[in-house]
Amino acid sequence: VTYVDELSRELARRGVHGRSRRRILAEVEDHLRSDAASERQFGAPSDLANEFAAELGTHASRRAAVAAFAALAIAGAVYAAVFVTLSPQSIQSSTLVTAVVVIAPQVAFVAGVLALARARRRSLATAELTVLHRRTGTALAFGAATMGALAAAAGSTTAYVAAAAATTLLAAAAAPLLASVRIRPQVAGSAGDVFDDLGIERLRTDPWRFARLVALGVGAAVALAGVVQGDPLDGLARGILEGAACLAGFAALGRYLGLRR
Amino acid sequence: VNEELKGHLDSLILAVLAAEPAHGYAVLQELKARSDGAFDLPEGTIYPALHRLEHAGLLASGWSSAGGRRRRVYRLTRRGRTKLESRRREWLAFSKAVDAVLA
Repeated sequence: VTYVDELSRELARRGVHGRSRRRILAEVEDHLRSDAASERQFGAPSDLANEFAAELGTHASRRAAVAAFAALAIAGAVYAAVFVTLSPQSIQSSTLVTAVVVIAPQVAFVAGVLALARARRRSLATAELTVLHRRTGTALAFGAATMGALAAAAGSTTAYVAAAAATTLLAAAAAPLLASVRIRPQVAGSAGDVFDDLGIERLRTDPWRFARLVALGVGAAVALAGVVQGDPLDGLARGILEGAACLAGFAALGRYLGLRR
Repeated sequence: VNEELKGHLDSLILAVLAAEPAHGYAVLQELKARSDGAFDLPEGTIYPALHRLEHAGLLASGWSSAGGRRRRVYRLTRRGRTKLESRRREWLAFSKAVDAVLA
């Protein structure tokens, strides 16, 4: 068994397949032909395969996060357009559908932004990559749920077609995510949290303080919007609900999405 | 030396490829030659670094054939050249400051 054979097996074990694997093997094979004695200098095939998997996994996960965010941005535009063009009378929705239409896009947006924040970082440990995958997957899943609920609520053919197109786009954006999940490097390190991603170390000691601050900010913004629209009481009620939803989201998804450790 | 070198590996690879496109083996040899043998990097470090720089858009690569051998040849992109210039400036400022303190 040659070094290249062993490297090939180790790359496959870490989920590096197809064109990437062929390219790596061809480069290493060519190098060894230039200098056969350099085999030892390459290190153990498992270590080299792991280095490549770490690099490819990080790159693929970053691309997946960006693709998901781009798809979400388009879905967001569809969401806004459907709401603007709908007359209030045409909206036919149950409480559940309304809740999904209101809450799901916010979860999708927050997860998508957090995925982008993590994708900016240069090198990622395996546990950090897992969190990045979760954020990207959550953003896409909640985006798709939003589109489904939107189509159900709108009850018009135009809205249905627009939501279906946006859902197809979100499904297409899941392909890079699935490809990145298949690459499995072993890089030591903790999963990190939102404070690492945003560079706000100060608040790490009390993540719930951070959650309360965000809830307060979001609640105040919604309440202010109510004042601007001439209905401060309704704004205040919505603001309190939004703030409570932020805290509930932090409690339910905080650990899963790496908001707190 | 090699441990200290790791933090500067990307800049050194960009600098080597600024002169002309080259394959991984030639990059290693050039690094060794330019440093009078001080930078004798293990082969296992250079290829993942080349791939990383390409993913970052600082290098581009393509297959070339010579003497019946297919080789992956890397070249600096415009973005890579800009990055190299900024790294050079940073290094000069840093080394000047260190020199001033050590002297």
